[in-house]
Amino acid sequence: MAESNTSVSCSSDNFYSELLSPSELFAARSRSHKIPARGQKEFLPDGSARQRERLQQSLEEHWSLISEERVERLGALVKGEWIPSKNVVVLKSPAGKFWQTMGFSEHGKQLLLPEEALYLMECGSVQVFLHDLPLSIQEGYEMFLSKDTVNLQQYQVRHAAERRECRGALPLRLVPHKAAVSSLKVFSHLKRLGYVVSRFDRSTVPSHYERQLNLPPERDGHGRQLKRKRSRSPSSQLPDGQGGVAGESLEMRGGETKSQRANPEDGAAGLSEPEAERMVEDVPVPSGVPERRWWVEGGADLPQSPTRPRHRGWVWETITLPDLGAHRCQPALAAPDPSLLPGRLSVGVCAMEPWLRRLNLRPERLSRRERERERSRYRRDVNDDREVRHCRSWAEYHELRRRRRNRHGRRNRPEHLWEGKVTPLLQPGQHTTAGDVLDKIGVVGASRLLDGAAGLEDSEGWKISFDVFQPDTVAEFKKSSPGKPYSRLCVCSFEGPVPDLRVLKQLAFQSGDVPVTFAVVDHGDISFYCFKDFQLPTDTSH
Amino acid sequence: MAAAGRGDAGADPASNPGTVAVCFCESTPLLWRAGDVRTARQTGVVGTLMGSLARQPRQNCRLGRPLELLREEARLLADAGRAVLLSSSRPKSTGAANPELVKQHQEQMDQSYSEQSQLAQQDKKAVLLRVMADKKQGSNQSDQALQERLLALDHGFTFPRTAMAVQLNTARAGMSYGPEELRFLAADSLSPRDERQEARYRVFRDLRRRGFYLTTGGKFGGDYLVYPGDPLRFHAHFIAICLPMDEALSLCDLLALSRLGANVKKTVLLCSPGAEPEEVLYTSLQWSGMV
Repeated sequence: MAESNTSVSCSSDNFYSELLSPSELFAARSRSHKIPARGQKEFLPDGSARQRERLQQSLEEHWSLISEERVERLGALVKGEWIPSKNVVVLKSPAGKFWQTMGFSEHGKQLLLPEEALYLMECGSVQVFLHDLPLSIQEGYEMFLSKDTVNLQQYQVRHAAERRECRGALPLRLVPHKAAVSSLKVFSHLKRLGYVVSRFDRSTVPSHYERQLNLPPERDGHGRQLKRKRSRSPSSQLPDGQGGVAGESLEMRGGETKSQRANPEDGAAGLSEPEAERMVEDVPVPSGVPERRWWVEGGADLPQSPTRPRHRGWVWETITLPDLGAHRCQPALAAPDPSLLPGRLSVGVCAMEPWLRRLNLRPERLSRRERERERSRYRRDVNDDREVRHCRSWAEYHELRRRRRNRHGRRNRPEHLWEGKVTPLLQPGQHTTAGDVLDKIGVVGASRLLDGAAGLEDSEGWKISFDVFQPDTVAEFKKSSPGKPYSRLCVCSFEGPVPDLRVLKQLAFQSGDVPVTFAVVDHGDISFYCFKDFQLPTDTSH
Repeated sequence: MAAAGRGDAGADPASNPGTVAVCFCESTPLLWRAGDVRTARQTGVVGTLMGSLARQPRQNCRLGRPLELLREEARLLADAGRAVLLSSSRPKSTGAANPELVKQHQEQMDQSYSEQSQLAQQDKKAVLLRVMADKKQGSNQSDQALQERLLALDHGFTFPRTAMAVQLNTARAGMSYGPEELRFLAADSLSPRDERQEARYRVFRDLRRRGFYLTTGGKFGGDYLVYPGDPLRFHAHFIAICLPMDEALSLCDLLALSRLGANVKKTVLLCSPGAEPEEVLYTSLQWSGMV
């Protein structure tokens, strides 16, 4: 310390004033961890000595709490290194207990997202270095939440800025970029309370269709299989196919893993044939692993995805299947992305010609007699009916049929009821229950939150940021199969607008069957709000 | 030499006594040094702590540095000439290791280790001596054993390096990586962006001048909570709502605000800057039942 103080002019002493001397560091090992209680507040200052004394005491306690520096045993600290280009922290020593709920692994390295790293720095669990020098928490904030990093926060910042610009308020330069700090505040707030918080990844939400079918989540199946194998052959815990180490098992099995890594084929042999095949089919594979025959979820996502590559899900909106029978079909199908293929396999352009030759593409030709027979099969071809031909959809066709039936039935109706301007609302025989009738005469129909939400486009600036899992699930929590979150969080601010129905619908749709909570940040204060779908009861008893 | 890199130390206003360094993280003004937080409090700037408390990081009741300031608070400090506004931009190039600094850091660590090792040895010795003093009346044999242990301590004491205590700095310390470019921001970076912000600032300044302490009041539907004394010891009396003079407020909003104020036993204060530059007009609303 002495050298640095002499080389730096003494006026910048207070940059160093918060550095502790070795004796202070040593003494700090046995300091108290108790937080003094805050007494009852008072109503009015009355200028009494007693009050002044108590204020002084409270303030002194406050300052001693505030000015306390973090001191940890070197052995208890996990070392990490900040990688500015990737905006992640790479761990240089084995992760601690926090690895159960935080971090992810990629290319065999243990990584932390910036918000996780900041939180762990504040907890005194991780020391982050840049170029072999430790970073202070202040530097962590300033670097990790920087504007020129591509991450979740920046995404939000950008969109928030655009949103404000849309409202025509102000030039961009003056717009506050607070989203990263707000997100971090919400993240740390929940983490300090013990929640498991991870970034929201849209592809992990099962689609509405999947939910309707009530499909068992496939990823869980994978997880279980792997887990079973894991106990027998540790090498099958290298999930990302790059010699990587399965996240949650590293601390306990680090050594074991290393020793077994040389023999990767064991893992494949351990899988029964169909299982292995299914994995190959289901999961695209990263390149550059020629010697490996089995693949596990997440691998192919790694190169593109800056966020946690936890699962992969199919985003059907972006996948189109070619119509090979169409007349103007491409002569050849493009080669698949090599990163999606298992090693050793090279697949070129697929020429369509030989395949098409096998298809019977000739138009059907019928003799006159055959045509006669066809016609006589249906006594009257519906297509001859001009009104039917005007129908453009099944709905219209059904409507036409209904109309015709009604016209037919109307003959039996009493004229004085049905031919006037005012006709009965209900038709005889159509509605049989009170509920049906109430439904029919209702002016405003009930609507649910998710009605029509599927077609809504994303609203600018509104985005789900985090998945939140309750603290009591931590013991069983697995990053590889986190299960259904307790809630999902959208971070917003009191300065911004209140979400409108469109935003609510769209976020609720994105979130699937998990409720969306809005975390509203007002400087230090965070308030949580949520909107609930509510169905008015219908009284059908009379 | 981060500090030296900033140029002439004499002209460095960050180190003047009584001024605080306001560091912007994105657009959020933050105070990092404990001394600054204290200085700010002396001028009545309360702010909100947003970091984890060093002593007990996993709770939300008492938080620690950094202290987040309201824009108005930062501006008040700047206008009073008591704040230096700093923005750190991350170096454009990823930079390279500075071998000199790394070496210096290693030396500091080694020195700290040897000192702590000595302290640990003394500590242990002191414990043994105390035990010996207590056992003066005891048998000679156990005394002998203690003597031996004391000797052994002198020769073969090892203090494991992992047991050494290290500091995790909260505020930026001089020794860490890189001449982080500290940019001094012009004070007008805090100037209001619209009429509402101007109203907020003028109300803040006026209430502060009258000796009230202010914190943010979003949870109570207002702009500020107004305290008669330090918020550490006193309850807030008012919910301040800042409105430009000519802005209309719907009756429903007014009712909702005063009703809310009544429920939390606070008075709603409508505050509008007047025509004069220093003038602020206050209207207090209190719910009263018709008798």
